[in-house]
Amino acid sequence: MLKTVLCFGDSNTNGQEPGGTLMDRFGPAERWPGVLRRELGPDWYVLEEGLSGRTTVHNDPIEGDLKNGRAYLRPCLMSHAPIDLVILMLGTNDLKARFGQPASEVAMGIGCLIHDIKELAPGPMGEVPEILVVAPPPMLDDIGEWEGIFSGAQPKSHKLAHDFEVIADSLEVHFFDAGTVISSDPADGFHISRDAHEVLGVRLAQEINVIGWGG
Amino acid sequence: MPDMRFAPPNPIRIADRSSGMNAVSVRSYNERLVLSLLLQNKGMSRMDIGKRTGLSAQTVSVIVRSLAQEGLVAKGEAQRGRMGPPTIPLSLNPEGAYAVGISLGHRQMDVVLIDFVGDVKFHTSMPLPSNDAISNHSELVETVRQAMASLPGQQNGPIAGVGLAIPEDRDELALGPDGMAERFETIRQEIETALAVEVYVQNDVTAAAGGESMFGAAKSLDNYLFFYLGARLHHRLVLNHQILQSPNQISSPIGLIELESRLQGKGLPSEELWIRGGQWPDFGDVRQIWINDCLAVLSNAVGSASQFLPVKTVIISSYAPKRVCDEIASALADMQPRIEVKVGGLAISPKALGAASLPFSSKFTVS
Repeated sequence: MLKTVLCFGDSNTNGQEPGGTLMDRFGPAERWPGVLRRELGPDWYVLEEGLSGRTTVHNDPIEGDLKNGRAYLRPCLMSHAPIDLVILMLGTNDLKARFGQPASEVAMGIGCLIHDIKELAPGPMGEVPEILVVAPPPMLDDIGEWEGIFSGAQPKSHKLAHDFEVIADSLEVHFFDAGTVISSDPADGFHISRDAHEVLGVRLAQEINVIGWGG
Repeated sequence: MPDMRFAPPNPIRIADRSSGMNAVSVRSYNERLVLSLLLQNKGMSRMDIGKRTGLSAQTVSVIVRSLAQEGLVAKGEAQRGRMGPPTIPLSLNPEGAYAVGISLGHRQMDVVLIDFVGDVKFHTSMPLPSNDAISNHSELVETVRQAMASLPGQQNGPIAGVGLAIPEDRDELALGPDGMAERFETIRQEIETALAVEVYVQNDVTAAAGGESMFGAAKSLDNYLFFYLGARLHHRLVLNHQILQSPNQISSPIGLIELESRLQGKGLPSEELWIRGGQWPDFGDVRQIWINDCLAVLSNAVGSASQFLPVKTVIISSYAPKRVCDEIASALADMQPRIEVKVGGLAISPKALGAASLPFSSKFTVS
């Protein structure tokens, strides 16, 4: 049985190149959902839903309401159901100064997305799909010209993994801390390199395999 | 009324991960379920655990992750099966928890320290304190302290507790010095006060059977008949993992004390009988006659029990030399061909090892 995994995230799921522009995107086989596609093999259908600037639950007053992950998640799930596994990897954009959120509130936003997935139950036979929360790697201290936009975000970004894990435990979903295997790229301090995409894709494929899939 | 979905997160376990301290006050039933399974089986995948427990993949994921962070569970190397994706085998981390076990006998006390998979890391025997000693059990307390200090580094954290196996059989108690039972009663309190550890107390033969179920020859058995060949011969019935103890239970005098008295009657040395892990010298035909007498009692008991009970396995546990146990087991199997006879798997001091399993079963398993 073909299984479907939806990779829901921000620019680091989109594959945006560190230090590049919106137009600079790693190739389909290079970005981590592509690596995942290669690693998981023909049994899996890998869907990429990475949007630059996506937040967990916030309408961005500058970039626009369309960046609100919560608003987009439900129609997105409905478009692709049945889905066996949803991977959520976002949260960094919530740390922008304009939102003024502590890490724990970003984790609450992730929790909100988890509740929405469970409520919608877009899994096979209308069940709740497996959900894997991936904490993004912490930002580097030097984020160059992005400092103004992300002012104060760096220390908070180090807390995301812990707070995401607490929420994943509470809501009983899978969790992986990407910061244990990759780092942000020094080119801009919060996007991940081609090599990091490769490592992350390989590791997430392992995490997915150990969940164990009946067939 | 706030929407409780968005109340502050309430993780299954409240572990303070930043300090690595284990702040678990009550281990959840599901965590115990997973740990019980891993005590019985090495190298299970998360999917195996889910199938055996009925827990969802996500719940297993959360529990395994937190047990791994706590150091109780270790992940093995990925295994590539003939089919399907590679799996990660999970096992208990031997260094994740330790326990001390104490058995009190009519001649001596045994103290062991075991790791989370039942390997003995420390063992010593000491004589009972003499009756006129004012100090009650200071030497015992000191030995337990030594056992705990024998752990590498500052590993006092993972000591799950101290188990105490106490003889209750009246005939067994009568073998020791006067007032022995009364002295034993105060040991728990003394250890708890002196060492600030939790002490779990159980009947000694029951503890030895529990040890076999957790770490020994009875690991995979639901039902079995358990014999403990010590100074006297004791028995327990284990049904559906429950160790049953009848209030009317009596032990048989055909034990090592009987062998000792026969040896002494012939002027032969008998000290070796009581040495844990010792080897018996040549006792001539006294040995064979005694074994035959033991076998008669065992076979009779097994024969009667098997008329009433769904028992297909007998376990014989003893600190007597393994060669002697093997000989008894194989002869008993010949006498009772429908019964499988196994020698207990707990070396050195089955009662002390069984005692050491008590903190583990109390803290980590489903009863």
